Amino acid sequence: MRLTLPVFLSTLPFIGIAPLAAEVDYGKSVKPLLKERCYSCHGGLKQKAGLRLDTVAGMLIGGDEGPALAPGDAGKSHILNRILATDLDERMPPKHEGEPFTTAQAQLLREWIAGGAKGPVDEKPESDPREHWAFRQRVRPPVPEIENAAWANNPIDAFIARQHQKHGILPQKQAPREVLIRRLYLDLIGIPPTPAEIAATENDDGWYDSTVNRLLNDPRHGERWARHWMDIWRYSDWWGLGDQLRNSQKHMWHWRDWIVESLNANLPYDEMLRQMLAADELYPADPQKLRATGFLARNFFLFNRNPWMEETVEHVSKGLLGLTMNCTKCHDHKYDPITQVDYYRMRAFFEPVHVRLDAVPGETEFDKNGIPRVFDGLPSEPTFRYIRGEESKPDKSAPIAPGVPALLEFAPLEVRPVELPLAGREPERNAWVMESHLAAAQKKNADAKDGRGRELAKAELEGVEARIRATRAEWSGGDAREDAIRAEQRIAVVNARHAVADAEAILEKADAQKKPDAEKKVTDARDKVVKSEKALTEPVKPDAMFTRFAGAQWTPTRFKDSTKDDPRIGFPASSTGRRSALAAWITDTRNLLSSRVAVNHIWTRHMGQPLVATMFDFGRKGAGPTHPELLDWLASELVESGWDMRHIHRLIVTSATYRMSSSLLGAEASVARDPDNHQMWHRLPQRIESEVVRDSLLALAGELDTTLGGPSIPPAAQDASKRRSLYFFHSNIEKNRFLSTFDAADVKDCYRRDQSIVPQQALAMSNSALVHNAAEKIAARITNAAPDESGFVRAAWMQILAITPNEAEFAASTRSLAEWRALPGGNDTTARTHLVRALLSHNDFVTLR
Amino acid sequence: MTATHPLSRRTFLADMGMGFTGLALGAMLRRESIASTPGLSAPDGIPHFAPKAKRVIWLFMNGGVSHMESFDPKPMLTRYGGKTIAETPFAGVQDPAKLALERLVVPDANGNQRNKLYPLQVGFKKHGQSGIEVSDWFPHIARNVDRIAIVRSMFTTDSNHGAQTQFHTGRNMLDGEFPTLGAWVHYGLGSLNDNLPSFISMGTREYWNKRDGHYLGPAHDAVPLRIDPGNPLDFGKSERPISPEAQSVGLDLIRELNTLRGVEYPNDPALAARVASYELAFRMQRSVPEALDFSKETAETKALYGIDLAPCREFGSQLLAARRLAERGVRFIQIQHGGGGAGAWDAHGGLQANHSRLALAVDQPIGGLLEDLSRRGLLEDTLVVFATEFGRTPGSQGSDGRDHHIFGFSVWMAGGGLKGGVAHGATDEICFHAVENRHYVTDIHATILRQMGLDSRKLEVPGRKRLEIDHGKAIMDIIA
Repeated sequence: MRLTLPVFLSTLPFIGIAPLAAEVDYGKSVKPLLKERCYSCHGGLKQKAGLRLDTVAGMLIGGDEGPALAPGDAGKSHILNRILATDLDERMPPKHEGEPFTTAQAQLLREWIAGGAKGPVDEKPESDPREHWAFRQRVRPPVPEIENAAWANNPIDAFIARQHQKHGILPQKQAPREVLIRRLYLDLIGIPPTPAEIAATENDDGWYDSTVNRLLNDPRHGERWARHWMDIWRYSDWWGLGDQLRNSQKHMWHWRDWIVESLNANLPYDEMLRQMLAADELYPADPQKLRATGFLARNFFLFNRNPWMEETVEHVSKGLLGLTMNCTKCHDHKYDPITQVDYYRMRAFFEPVHVRLDAVPGETEFDKNGIPRVFDGLPSEPTFRYIRGEESKPDKSAPIAPGVPALLEFAPLEVRPVELPLAGREPERNAWVMESHLAAAQKKNADAKDGRGRELAKAELEGVEARIRATRAEWSGGDAREDAIRAEQRIAVVNARHAVADAEAILEKADAQKKPDAEKKVTDARDKVVKSEKALTEPVKPDAMFTRFAGAQWTPTRFKDSTKDDPRIGFPASSTGRRSALAAWITDTRNLLSSRVAVNHIWTRHMGQPLVATMFDFGRKGAGPTHPELLDWLASELVESGWDMRHIHRLIVTSATYRMSSSLLGAEASVARDPDNHQMWHRLPQRIESEVVRDSLLALAGELDTTLGGPSIPPAAQDASKRRSLYFFHSNIEKNRFLSTFDAADVKDCYRRDQSIVPQQALAMSNSALVHNAAEKIAARITNAAPDESGFVRAAWMQILAITPNEAEFAASTRSLAEWRALPGGNDTTARTHLVRALLSHNDFVTLR
Repeated sequence: MTATHPLSRRTFLADMGMGFTGLALGAMLRRESIASTPGLSAPDGIPHFAPKAKRVIWLFMNGGVSHMESFDPKPMLTRYGGKTIAETPFAGVQDPAKLALERLVVPDANGNQRNKLYPLQVGFKKHGQSGIEVSDWFPHIARNVDRIAIVRSMFTTDSNHGAQTQFHTGRNMLDGEFPTLGAWVHYGLGSLNDNLPSFISMGTREYWNKRDGHYLGPAHDAVPLRIDPGNPLDFGKSERPISPEAQSVGLDLIRELNTLRGVEYPNDPALAARVASYELAFRMQRSVPEALDFSKETAETKALYGIDLAPCREFGSQLLAARRLAERGVRFIQIQHGGGGAGAWDAHGGLQANHSRLALAVDQPIGGLLEDLSRRGLLEDTLVVFATEFGRTPGSQGSDGRDHHIFGFSVWMAGGGLKGGVAHGATDEICFHAVENRHYVTDIHATILRQMGLDSRKLEVPGRKRLEIDHGKAIMDIIA
């Protein structure tokens, strides 16, 4: 069977069969080949050597070196000669620009030329890349007049219905009320409705709009949608080898909390981006906003700056702009008008970036808490273009300044350095820094239990107090250095004395074998006491310094040697202003891409079906929009509403399009016309995200802990935790086992969540302790509300699946209940738990209908 | 499902009952999300051309096996042992131009040039009809030398253990993270068996190399299996007691209810796929323990894998499991040997003790695997691969170790339509550079994919441009 599969041309070199000499079809085989291999330099994007190969006419006209084609004479055709050239300086595509044509490909071309190089008469050249839809000015499109006006609920539907009309398709009817309620809850807050919430809609004609408003203002909305943006913006807790942090930053949860809070406050999208890219320049004294720069701090890589910068450029471009700038690291873009230099211009915005942890009130140890944030720590670090993208080959002849691709520039970029407030470069000046240390020392003093503890705590408290005095004196031009140094010396004396006592206690218990060693330790400890006491009596050295309070801690890199930290980076008094300039450009209403990319992200997560399938590539290689005018209309709404995301959410979820059923019942004609639903005539059912699966289980069981925010739940505590899944520690290597089974976010790249259907999901739903436990609790809760069997069955179906069971489904459920009851040890309770577990394994539990 | 549905072709194949069921079903299960995205189409699980091999057993030695003390012994090392390379006739190997391919990810005290030649730490002999020389630490593999094709001219670019990832993905870690070979095979071919995952991993995977699918998606990550009859597979056993009878009532009900929903939601491919995935899950729940149950294996077979010997027990059990999984149609079985640090074989010091001990643990199981596969007729269409991230320096590190060495090292492959008894490519006289028929790691990938009937260019995903070097070139000289 397999041997008879069709053999395609490009597999021929493997198989070793010569192609048959037949009429070569230009449109089918030659043009696609030239398009793939030649157009990027000889087509619409570029016309190197004045040559275009995107039409037969263009080839006949040729370029600087004359016509590329001699129809009927392959030997005299320039195009073929250059392709076959053995001299690498002659050969096309040039070295490093593409692999040579295979023998079969060259043969194809030869035969086409020999056959007269025929092409279609009306062949159109590639269009100017500036004409590409995403690179054209966004103009607010008029809302179309449609025939099916009664169906439309808002302008979105008009754009959708016009396409239905054009293709002769009718939209599926609205989904049933219970399906819509569940759809709204899972979509907007990520948690299913309670029985009371379902019941409340029954006699309320205005339930839909009021539910939408209530859910958009629910704090759980911020948690739900934060997880979407965390996918796109690549949220990751830190990871590395054992205890060594190699990627991302400690306490990254501050950024996650900022996202949740910002969404709940309906902070405009443009403002969110500005804060993520440049809060340290725009709001340098506002720690709450500084949390936003976790977006950049997350790209850290301990051993090498290059991947750190590359990830930043790649994902700022893909995530915020829908541009695949990563392709231009090595060469000019093959499809879009972006040059290799543009790549390094983009990189230059981030070149000065470094990472640090800022102290938070009430915590003195950076290992325990601190806000991970970026700052321009390397303001004069030059950016060089790497020849062919190779890090080892920087072109040092010309440092590259920050800038944006010419095509996307609408006004000259203004980069103005930003003077930072004193507390920016001397973060210990933030009031809470010394307050935290003082409070910690006071607490230790108050809590000290024995004489020895009190002695040390008292010395330490005096030390902190003296250091505070000395620091303050320094700020006001005075000098209380000596006091602080002496106080610290006194701490050293106390510690040394305690060490002697410890060493003596060990010596007392030591056996003969360990005695010599223990004795030596006592002697050493005593020496230290003498030394520390002596220091107290000696004059303080002029260059001695007391321990400074740290208001921030630089995250060390190990670029030079993986076994030791690089020299410390200081906190400069100013920032380059580059990232504020970038943020201003990205969030300018004239930016061609940002608003389009943003509404596509939002639309896709509501509808499960993107307007632009390549979420991260709006360029010429990407998929075009299925509804270009709708996309631009939504983008205009976003921008003109002041980048109000809640406005866009409301528009989308109140549309008739959103409310369609996902059932294809009675839709044979439409299926025949548009089987892939390009025209959005029905909803596509969605496999709900891993977090929604777990959160729903806990919510239905009445166990969900609704605490907002805080440190990520460590892996070891996750099995017992009832917190929402977005709070789980999640990195490239630490992933929750249950969540992973249902496609947790890939922290490296997740512009769309996978919706796999794999058998391990069935195993997790049947066998995990999480589901067993939830089933027991859910069954008990439903039994409490609906003790009789038929009430129980109906309530279970409604709560778990949002379905009123039909006769057959009801009968199957009660029959199974009887079977479970009849098993040894079976009773109502076990049977009902089994039924709940089966319903949790139903396709529709993990599906958004 | 009606014929108008986009999945109709696969369904059609499945309905033909011509051995494609597993393939088509696997394809359907895994690709639902992509199939529904306009402009993207995933492979359908059918090879691009006639395959010679159906499955791969991928043995990877973590840490870096010394090529000179395994499959590429060179007497010059012993002759010039103790001399600096500069003092030997081979000083040219340190020409900076020849060393320039290095792209180090993690700079540290290791991964450096070691100048003083370290003599061979073990003897070697010619073996088999082919007379290929193999070190005395690997007598069981040596006995099978006529079944294997050694490639002695490998090179890679990362002088630190990121090279482990690099061997699996073909990319230096500085470039980011990419799908591994197993993920590509899984993506391209799916399963031959309805009852088992088709991409399985066993053994130790270091932190940078824990995942496979990357941009192909987590559905293409290997499913980790443990040789632990009590808990071989995540969620493979109920975490609360439940009787088989109660489970069976539940399974019947789930099937019935999902099928009934099809009345309200006809032509829903996800619904159909989920029904199928439940069936598969419960067959898997039975078939995984069955595949790992050695009770029906004879004492002679177990002894062949060295399961009765303490040093070989763990790896031998994994390899016997691998054979059983291969027999049952699992496509890609990835076994990584040697945990601790960056991998057990990482012999910076005490190489002799380290390698002799580890060789003892793997040699007999591997020899046994080759013989067992062969006598069962499985070696014909099963590719066995023995690989490691890099070799070790010809010069000594400290007094008795060898450092990481990327410029030349050895791997071997057997079965699956490859030649046996060949040693392809060569390093120079002191095992420093691959000098003859040099191969980057993706040439191994290309060779395997070719034997599996896959054209890596046809597997490309839109928006994920692969480079020429990612595709590699099949090593035609070792293909039968």
